[in-house]
Amino acid sequence: MITEEIKNKLRAIVGSEYVLDSEIDRFGYSYDSSFVQFSESNQPDVIVRPANTKEVSAVMSLASSMGIPVTARGTSSGRTGGSIPVSGGIALSLTRMDKIIEFDERNMMVTVGPGMRTMELYNHCAEKGLFYPPDPASWKYSTIGGNIAENAGGMRAVKYGVTNNYVMGLEVVLADGSVIRTGGKAIKNVTGYNLTQLFVGSEGTLGIVTEIVLRLIPMPAARNTMQLMFPDIEQACGTIHAMLQSGLVPAAAELMDHTSIQAVARHRSLNIDPAIGACVIIEIDGEDDAALQKQASGIEETARRFSAIEVRTAANQAESDDIWSIRRGLSSAVGAMAPNRFGEDISVPRDAFPDMVRRIRDISEKYSLTIAVYGHAGDGNLHPSVLCDMSNPEHAGKVHTAIGEIFDAALQVGGTLSGEHGIGITKRSYTEKALGTAGIEAHKAIKAALDPKGILNPGKIWEQPVKEGN
Amino acid sequence: MAEMKKLLIDAAAIARECDRCGNCTTVCPLYGEIDIESSAARGKNNLTLGLAAGVVKASPALLKAANFCLLCRTCAENCPTKVRTDEVMIALRQHLTDELGGLTAKYRMLGTIMKTRPLVKLAAFSMAVMRFLHINRFVPRGLVPNENRRSSFTAAYAGPALLGQPVVPWESTIAHDSRVAYFHGCGMDMMFPDAAGSSIKLLEKTAPGKIQDLANKCCGLIHLAHGMRNDFIDLAKENIRLYENTDIIVTDCASCSSTLKHTAQYFEDDPEWRDRAEEFSSKVMDITEYLTRAGYRPQQREGVRLTFHEPCHLGRGQGLRSQPRELLKSAGEYVEMTGADVCCGGSGSFHLDYPEVSERMLEKKRGNIEKTGAAIVVTECPACLARMQKASRDSNGKFIAMHISQVI
Ligand SMILES: Cc1cc2nc3c(=O)[nH]c(=O)nc-3n(C[C@H](O)[C@H](O)[C@H](O)COP(=O)(O)OP(=O)(O)OC[C@H]3O[C@@H](n4cnc5c(N)ncnc54)[C@H](O)[C@@H]3O)c2cc1C
Ligand code: SF4
Ligand code: SF4
Repeated sequence: MITEEIKNKLRAIVGSEYVLDSEIDRFGYSYDSSFVQFSESNQPDVIVRPANTKEVSAVMSLASSMGIPVTARGTSSGRTGGSIPVSGGIALSLTRMDKIIEFDERNMMVTVGPGMRTMELYNHCAEKGLFYPPDPASWKYSTIGGNIAENAGGMRAVKYGVTNNYVMGLEVVLADGSVIRTGGKAIKNVTGYNLTQLFVGSEGTLGIVTEIVLRLIPMPAARNTMQLMFPDIEQACGTIHAMLQSGLVPAAAELMDHTSIQAVARHRSLNIDPAIGACVIIEIDGEDDAALQKQASGIEETARRFSAIEVRTAANQAESDDIWSIRRGLSSAVGAMAPNRFGEDISVPRDAFPDMVRRIRDISEKYSLTIAVYGHAGDGNLHPSVLCDMSNPEHAGKVHTAIGEIFDAALQVGGTLSGEHGIGITKRSYTEKALGTAGIEAHKAIKAALDPKGILNPGKIWEQPVKEGN
Repeated sequence: MAEMKKLLIDAAAIARECDRCGNCTTVCPLYGEIDIESSAARGKNNLTLGLAAGVVKASPALLKAANFCLLCRTCAENCPTKVRTDEVMIALRQHLTDELGGLTAKYRMLGTIMKTRPLVKLAAFSMAVMRFLHINRFVPRGLVPNENRRSSFTAAYAGPALLGQPVVPWESTIAHDSRVAYFHGCGMDMMFPDAAGSSIKLLEKTAPGKIQDLANKCCGLIHLAHGMRNDFIDLAKENIRLYENTDIIVTDCASCSSTLKHTAQYFEDDPEWRDRAEEFSSKVMDITEYLTRAGYRPQQREGVRLTFHEPCHLGRGQGLRSQPRELLKSAGEYVEMTGADVCCGGSGSFHLDYPEVSERMLEKKRGNIEKTGAAIVVTECPACLARMQKASRDSNGKFIAMHISQVI
């Protein structure tokens, strides 16, 4: 419980307009884009919306002195319950800290507040001819802070890497309210531990990120999109491997299986030939149209060798946008197929992709559950979505067993539980299996060192006894 | 657990399509003003689901959150799963009004007036009566004082432009023996009689001497939107009956045309009325849609710069975007403003319930109008027009506001 006295202190820090505690608001900050069930125990006692680092620091020192849990929140587009305040306390909403703090064109770096939306950052840089490549499908609404905390990936990871590849430095408010700066604009930097990368992907459990220095690259001058259709997944994966091996690295290579394709067809009232078993959407970029032409014909030639049914190269921007909108809307289209959807986010070595898909198909048959599979084929990150109806006791009984088997299969082929969505609460029961006991202990030691009172986003990543705030 | 009411079940069924992605937070005009979860569609849909799941209680605060929605559909248009949040909110308002009992006196009074044609007429004739009934507070501000008249428009701008040129024959796709009726919008009659008169004259041009003018009832939007569904149904039935012998029902109020077109969906479960409602809704046309289909073109092009505020119920509500703009392009020098389709904040009585938010939205709108340098902002819904008049006053007369029928 947070007393009125504490709330008044919070109001004094951020302004009373930015402290919310009505029943309606507490409910509104109790869920994210994972389908964790609503529950009163997931509601924060109070929502606090700081405007700057100073305010965050003051909130943290108050929380630390009172032992109040604090859960950072971007826009709650997270898929694993990361921003759900499972221990109550303070939901720290960072969306007001959404400004570009510095745009350093000469060094090609930008410093931003954590609340800025990913796409806004991209657009801002693009206007100046610079490129911020990480593009999670949620980029229109996710925040950079959330991207950092989950080490978000995107379609362009195959060529350009994920969020952590662009983070040069951070300003972080620690659990006790002290403020540290990690890394910086120097490209070579080995002074001390690489704390920057420790905070990236830490899901708000080690500190509150309040400023981010990102490196940018020149914007590729030309870009185009291709859509390849295959009779099945094997040929699609074969094409991608052959491409990468021959040095044809696309900026993105997104794969969808039969179920996913039909989900899109249904969602957009399209007729798609049921003989098509797999679709790959490819982005190519380069310095000019000639470079694109060359890549496109190389890709087409490879695809034909793997018996592609159809190869389409976008003729203009509108066609390109149209092809991409299929991919961006895919998650929602698949979600619309059934009352409940459990979307997973496993990541496997690239060459294990077809094997993994096969294993998922076996699991789908074994439990007679529809499982749509799509993902970033270029980097081995796939999203199996188990479609079911949890109000049907028959489904409810077996869904989690099936998901457990998917995770097991991923570990068996040398992969991991999460490629980009993080662990949050929805996958924490599997963490120990993935990291091993010693691995978990190392995590706990780091957590205890940085957050001895365990007030930062408690209950996430691995299963732990939840500390009571008082 | 108490038996869950059908309205809530239906609302939750729509809300369940929400993927909780948060895309709506980037487009909802209310989130643009107050950026907290309950403002945008994600918050509203999940409150509905929370209520259905028993985690959120039915309360006046919840009703207030449900009322904090412009029903503008911007979220739905941009939503990856096209969740119809406006419908969810209409149903939730009704459900809560039923549950909590007690409609606020203000909505009840407004509903009664709009339901009773003579009162609407009375209101149109006498501001004094409205003040006496205290309804002037509930009808959009900027009510009676200064409707701009078509005659003054023609007088001020009539140039030699196209005068005297041969009139191009109209290419109409409307069957020439169609029975066409003008549907009186309450807001148009009460606040903008000159514009309503201009609309009838336009219709007369397309079918001289043949326009039916029946004593229609209110379209019922205000009742539907504020928890008076039974009144909405009663009104709809009367209108359905009234227009049995009409082929095309034309109205110059975007909110009416949109509501009348959507009326059929509220009779889906009523075997007695379903087909009649279906037929009724299919007869409805907005005036810009009708004029376009009838091949009408403004008779003269004025040298005046015009811009258009697109009512939510016209563009997103009915997909009518090009029709009004094409008409305006032949009527004057047309300039598109930034964010023409962004809600002006006038939605129903929203601006009375949330004056500050509505005011800020209107400020943005005014800025965008001023940037076009237009002398006239044109729109096609009395609620919007009243807001545009307010914007015109706030701009110290940099532009005036008129209904589309007055300038084409
Ligand atoms: C339709 C859809 C598609 C998606 N596609 C992708 C995809 O392609 N790739 C991908 O990687 N993800 C994807 N996601 C998941 C999600 O968008 C990302 O995880 C995103 O990074 C979350 O950002 P957010 O601002 O919404 O963070 P939130 O969900 O609000 O928070 C996520 C985590 O970050 C922590 N956090 C937030 N801000 C801070 C901060 N400033 N300091 C410390 N901790 C913080 C929170 O405590 C929480 O643990 C998708 C989600 C949806 C709904
Ligand atoms: S955009 Fe649509 S699906 Fe996404 S949160 Fe909003 S209403 Fe839900
Ligand atoms: S209908 Fe309009 S105001 Fe209501 S939630 Fe959707 S976008 Fe926001």
